[in-house]
Amino acid sequence: MSSPSEPAEPARAPTGVIHDLGYRPYAGPRLGERAVAWSFFLTGLRNTFGLGRSGRSKVLPMGLFGVMLLPALILVGVLVQAKDLLGLDAQIVPYSTYPLTTQLLISVFVAAQAPVLISRDLRFRTITLYLARPMRRTVYVLVRLASLAAGTFVLIASPLLLMYAGGLLADLPVGRETTRFFGAVVGAALLAVLLAGLAALVSALTVRRGMAVAAVIVVLLVSYTVVASIQGISVATGNETVGEVAGIFSPYTLVNGVQHYLFDSPRATPAPPSSDAMGLLYVAAVVVMAGGSVVALIARYRRVSP
Amino acid sequence: MSVVSRPVRGPVSRTVVRLGARSLFGRWRGVLLFVLPLVLVGLAVLVRALVGEDQDSAEAVVYNLGLAVVVPLVALLATSGLLASEIDDGSIAYLLAKPVSRYTIVSSKLVVALGSVLAFGAVPMGMAGLVLLPGSPSFALGFFLASLLGGAAYCAVFSWLSVLTRHAVVIGLIYLLIWEGLLGGLLDGIRWLSITRWSSEVVDWVASTELVDDLPLTYALIALVGVFVLGVRGTARRLQGFNLTGDE
Amino acid sequence: MTEIRIDHVSRWYRNVVAVNDVSMTIGPGVTGLLGPNGAGKSTLIALMSGFLAPSTGTVTLDGEPLWRNEKVYRRIGLVPEREALFDYLTGRQFVVAMAELHGLADAGAAAQRALAVIEMTDAQDRSISTYSKGMRQRVKMASALVHDPEVLLLDEPFNGMDPRQRIHLMELLRTMGAEGRTVLFSSHILEEVEQVARQIEVVVSGRHAASGDFGAIRRLMTDRPNRFVLRTDGDRLLASVLLGDASVRGVRLRSEGGIEVEASDFGRFSLVLPRLAREHGVRLLEVTPTDESLESVFAYLVSS
Repeated sequence: MSSPSEPAEPARAPTGVIHDLGYRPYAGPRLGERAVAWSFFLTGLRNTFGLGRSGRSKVLPMGLFGVMLLPALILVGVLVQAKDLLGLDAQIVPYSTYPLTTQLLISVFVAAQAPVLISRDLRFRTITLYLARPMRRTVYVLVRLASLAAGTFVLIASPLLLMYAGGLLADLPVGRETTRFFGAVVGAALLAVLLAGLAALVSALTVRRGMAVAAVIVVLLVSYTVVASIQGISVATGNETVGEVAGIFSPYTLVNGVQHYLFDSPRATPAPPSSDAMGLLYVAAVVVMAGGSVVALIARYRRVSP
Repeated sequence: MSVVSRPVRGPVSRTVVRLGARSLFGRWRGVLLFVLPLVLVGLAVLVRALVGEDQDSAEAVVYNLGLAVVVPLVALLATSGLLASEIDDGSIAYLLAKPVSRYTIVSSKLVVALGSVLAFGAVPMGMAGLVLLPGSPSFALGFFLASLLGGAAYCAVFSWLSVLTRHAVVIGLIYLLIWEGLLGGLLDGIRWLSITRWSSEVVDWVASTELVDDLPLTYALIALVGVFVLGVRGTARRLQGFNLTGDE
Repeated sequence: MTEIRIDHVSRWYRNVVAVNDVSMTIGPGVTGLLGPNGAGKSTLIALMSGFLAPSTGTVTLDGEPLWRNEKVYRRIGLVPEREALFDYLTGRQFVVAMAELHGLADAGAAAQRALAVIEMTDAQDRSISTYSKGMRQRVKMASALVHDPEVLLLDEPFNGMDPRQRIHLMELLRTMGAEGRTVLFSSHILEEVEQVARQIEVVVSGRHAASGDFGAIRRLMTDRPNRFVLRTDGDRLLASVLLGDASVRGVRLRSEGGIEVEASDFGRFSLVLPRLAREHGVRLLEVTPTDESLESVFAYLVSS
């Protein structure tokens, strides 16, 4: 590109100028790792529900979210309308039991969305782009896990919130409902962390999306079926302890047991922890499982070469 | 360099069987196939230790976990490893670009899948039955047969699904969870169209149990065989005109 | 005479037309299928290898349709580009399996021969998952050659090959072509096509843009003036004289010496140039056509 031609008189200084409209490097302030991690967390959380991605990826999570709310809506409706008629003085389905009843939906959600957050980056090697940024490898792993757990928590806790609001509308005692709701929310958080950890670990190991989804659902489904069978049989034959120990091996029964022990929530399994020792064992199991999946996930990502 | 090229006859190609067996067990997927029957037999041992010989508990374990969950999952895992994964990464092109009948390819892969169903489905089911009710071998035999027949039907259905869609595994799971699982437990009418119910009828016939009511044995047997044949045919026909590239 | 005939073939998917009314005949010898990325080369090769059905038109090998016809694979060897290999086998096991599937009487020997041709005998007992990209390409070649096919279809075969392997493969393709086989390979790299293929088919945006030897194609493009670079000992004089002739469209003096000439009538120009040079006492040191190359032909075709 040539500069504009200069005038013929040598005495006159050139007045042409070229404006540099080309590439400009960024010279502004750069936020640190914390801001990067936070925005990454938010993006991950949005992606869990399909926001910020294509329309097709919204269908399953939003659909599951709606179907999760539906029974709660119906329960609230019945509670509010027919409270006096049926003589109800508490939630029809206790807060802590609701996740156990809808566990299939929760399992499908976490099984379908964990590969979206975890397997995709590994399979298509976009993880190398993430690792080339200021965010460290462990931070990446923890943030991904946090996004998945937060999304699952939203899924589990939203119907509980709906039930709580409905309970207040139906003039149930505020203090009692609030404590129950609070306990259920804590349980929802624990459940979300356990499920997210498990699903993320499986997705990081399997990498292929279809297989990851299948593997997570199989693990969650089979574990619950086995535990439920053992608990049923153990109670019927009088060996409750066996059933209580078995309850550790499925996240749903484990968290329900913890809620029963810590917050005295109504039990939803045949064999919840009945002694302090068992209750503490349950709590310890939650910590171990959550921590273990995080450690395993970090170890798995350490093997990924940038 | 002239080579004589013989047409590959016969319903089963040893090469495809060999490749299929290697692909399934040479990789980590084979490990998962071991885990499911292990859990089943483990549970059977545990229940036997807790309860002793009890017909109801035995049925609960071997039917609810075994016939309804483990057998279809083994079929799904085996079939998806043999067909769906090869279609997904395109390596099935090397099998299809050969003068081999598509029926031969499908039946050879199904031989491996049925072998897996036998080894990781039917035999562990028989073992679980013997562990729980050693006094009635017909119980174990009934579940062994039912697992074999039901597993074969499942393999045929899942292989047809694998050549129809890229999301075969997820759709197969949804079918298992919702149709066979959820709805099958709720609605009785499903038994006419449910592979699990048909194979339960086979158990009822051999072991005189009462897993499913009002389902004629002839219907169940014909349905199982029919689904198998239709599944094989559908898969082979679909492979005959198979779009590998282009429809991305 | 093994001929693939593509007759008024179109292939569309939803509202994307991948191949748009293409007709071509691929005969014995090496043919290069040339086109930019996304032009429809892979689609055409899939059509020719029986892995895709045309939406309209027919694709036939010596009159036999290729779709839904597994017998035809006895005569075709296919080297796909992106289909993954069986990672859990060794190179030798893979080629032997392919030979067995072709029904060869002595699969092991045929596999050994094929592996020797593509120079993979050293690495044949290693698992394919340890192979580099070039080695995988060569194993695919071996699997396509093992049954001695009359037709070879290769989709971007030079992808990922280092220069030595590339030369070897070019030599191999030339040999195959010389033996009378019908070899078709696709590429978007002009040098490869230039050096190997006698016949080229150019595909642009799903349309068949040109076919034939690239020099012949260039000469057919009469609406584009031919360009030359002349080095002389009297640049400015010759330039002004050339402008006087009707066959010359434009002349430019190069800052580093020499003249760039655009001639609209190549034939007349080639007669006029020496005459004018002699008449005005200018010595021609060098006359170079600058767009008689596949690259410029391709650029003209793509930009149209």
